[in-house]
Amino acid sequence: MTVQPATEEDLRARAEIDRSARFPVMFFFTSGAAWLFVATLLGLVAALRLRLPGLGDEFGFLGYGRLFPAHMAALVYGWAMQGGIGVMLWLMARLTRNPVRNIVAILVAGHVWNFAVSLGVLAILAGFGRSLPWLDFPAWLWPMIAFSYVLMVAWIVPMFRFRRNKSIFMSEQYLIGAALWFPWIFLTANFLIDREAAPVMAAGASAWFISNMVYFWMAPIALAVVYYITPKITGRPIPSLAMAQFGFWTLAILAGWTGFARYMGGPFPAWMPALSSAASIFILFAVIATAINLVGMLRGCSRVWEYSPSLRFSLFGALMLGLYAILAAASSTFLFGKHLQFSYFVSGLDTLAVYGFFSMSLFGAMYFIVPRITCSEWPSGDKIRTHFWFSVYGILTLLSCMLVGGIAQAGTLADWEQPFTTAYVNTAAYVVGAVIAWVLIAFSNFWFFWQMALMFVGRGRKSEGPTLIHQEPGSAPGAKEAAGIA
Amino acid sequence: MWKLLGGLGLAFAFPWLLLVVLPYVDQSNAKPVAYAEEDEAGGYTAYPEAGVNQFGSSNYGAEVYAAEGCAYCHTQVIRPTYAGPDMWRPGWGGREEEGLARETRPRDFEGEPVAHLGYQRIGQDLSNVGYRVSSRAEMHRHLYDPKSFDPDSGMPAYRHLYRFDAGSGEAIPSGRAEALVDYLMSRRKDAPVPASLRR
Repeated sequence: MTVQPATEEDLRARAEIDRSARFPVMFFFTSGAAWLFVATLLGLVAALRLRLPGLGDEFGFLGYGRLFPAHMAALVYGWAMQGGIGVMLWLMARLTRNPVRNIVAILVAGHVWNFAVSLGVLAILAGFGRSLPWLDFPAWLWPMIAFSYVLMVAWIVPMFRFRRNKSIFMSEQYLIGAALWFPWIFLTANFLIDREAAPVMAAGASAWFISNMVYFWMAPIALAVVYYITPKITGRPIPSLAMAQFGFWTLAILAGWTGFARYMGGPFPAWMPALSSAASIFILFAVIATAINLVGMLRGCSRVWEYSPSLRFSLFGALMLGLYAILAAASSTFLFGKHLQFSYFVSGLDTLAVYGFFSMSLFGAMYFIVPRITCSEWPSGDKIRTHFWFSVYGILTLLSCMLVGGIAQAGTLADWEQPFTTAYVNTAAYVVGAVIAWVLIAFSNFWFFWQMALMFVGRGRKSEGPTLIHQEPGSAPGAKEAAGIA
Repeated sequence: MWKLLGGLGLAFAFPWLLLVVLPYVDQSNAKPVAYAEEDEAGGYTAYPEAGVNQFGSSNYGAEVYAAEGCAYCHTQVIRPTYAGPDMWRPGWGGREEEGLARETRPRDFEGEPVAHLGYQRIGQDLSNVGYRVSSRAEMHRHLYDPKSFDPDSGMPAYRHLYRFDAGSGEAIPSGRAEALVDYLMSRRKDAPVPASLRR
């Protein structure tokens, strides 16, 4: 079975959809890229502060306890969510063949969202944070976030309702799930924490929120991208729809049970972390099912990824999702978890989810979407290559420092006869490594932001062919066609 | 389409209800448990005792703790020995000489706005720091100049919570610093647990 070539009418419909999506989606992508750069710098300063605790003690906003949550908030709400919402809007429009409507409402909500995130990040730095990972924004802010989310994303529900395709695409299913699940998770966690009636459940809800954000929001969007982009680029359809459905429903049924394993051994009834742990392990079946399909779509086209930035980034992201699922499952068992719990490993795992996995998938989607909606090509393939390799080296350095450093830290802490600070002193090298990693990531994201800003102001390359990572596609079968070079 | 939406809703509703909402309702309605005769109550009247987690007259101290992001480096969880080595560290589990050291229990945080269980353990666990630090003055010194206790300490100094008075050469704590010390000195989570709750 092959993919049908597009007719004249198809092309015209696509162009109309791309035009309708241009302003909102470019707004989300560009402000997201700016937030990403800000978040990277905050992460760099936070890592530096961890190594040099004496630096700038007079200034409250320079404390690690304020910089780190500000960094995470900027990364999750400023970058990841905005980028994800942009991808959702465009992808849903393309899949259902409906143009994006209510652009004014979306743009207004987008500005409110950016205003809220700025306010939130400043509030955390100014000392109004809540010390709850990923939910650090002060309590008065979340209604604004929830409201603008609904105003931005609600439109994909009517798009889906009045879709032109009869059967439901895999990607549509993932997107509609992500769109509907997020408000539910977000409101539950915030209501529960604000009520202040069950203090321990508030801590549990924040751990549950992180895991649910990854599995119920980020993973579905990233998988929607993978299931859309890969067949488009390699020209092969999804090998097994049954397998794809199995992966989807396994994830959907299990994701909500995860999260509490972060506090296993903590003050919860033992069944709660135990269930979470089991769910994290069984989610690996969803990962396996998706991986089998992905390999099927890539068979024989394995060299395409050398040229296509979209494929390269989104495949790396998918790989990191697999790694995240494996590490999350492993660390939710007592065997590993009792050592890794509360070590640098925890923050390493969160960074792996937001940067290693989700951001890389978003980059892949953006390298695909932006040229289509701006009708111009990326200014430089070299810069894309710089972005890719510095991101990959940066994230791998950061992960090995945080994950291996976490193991080293936990190993020292387990020896209770050693003074407590030994763990801090012994892991100093890993923290220095993290600082270096953030420098690499900051460098790569600067170029990403630079190219995105050029595209935003209409300074992209006007050309027949797309910008590729390498200029001359090799002889791999399908590479030239995939790259759009006849 | 409706079948799909129903499926998506159901997939989420189950864990939402069973793992989050019901435990939440359960915990928010829990009443203090009286000690039975065979319990060694050690001067406590009920578990959790009213006001045992109070620090001053408000939750201000907990807010300062949250605002400074203390929970990103300090945990407040003592795990049982099968789940981690926390109980072995001297003073972490509570008053060992009195035989009161124990792991953290679900109701140890009653009356507090949020249980700051923590994220990473770059600094010490603070579950029972109220016993380990002898006086408020010492706690203030910990916050103002942590390295004076241990030159290897990775803790930043919270100078911005103090005003340095050049005349007397002393650091004057602000209201925020006092509230934070209130909160820290109230970290004494080793009240005996009634046998009926231990099972």
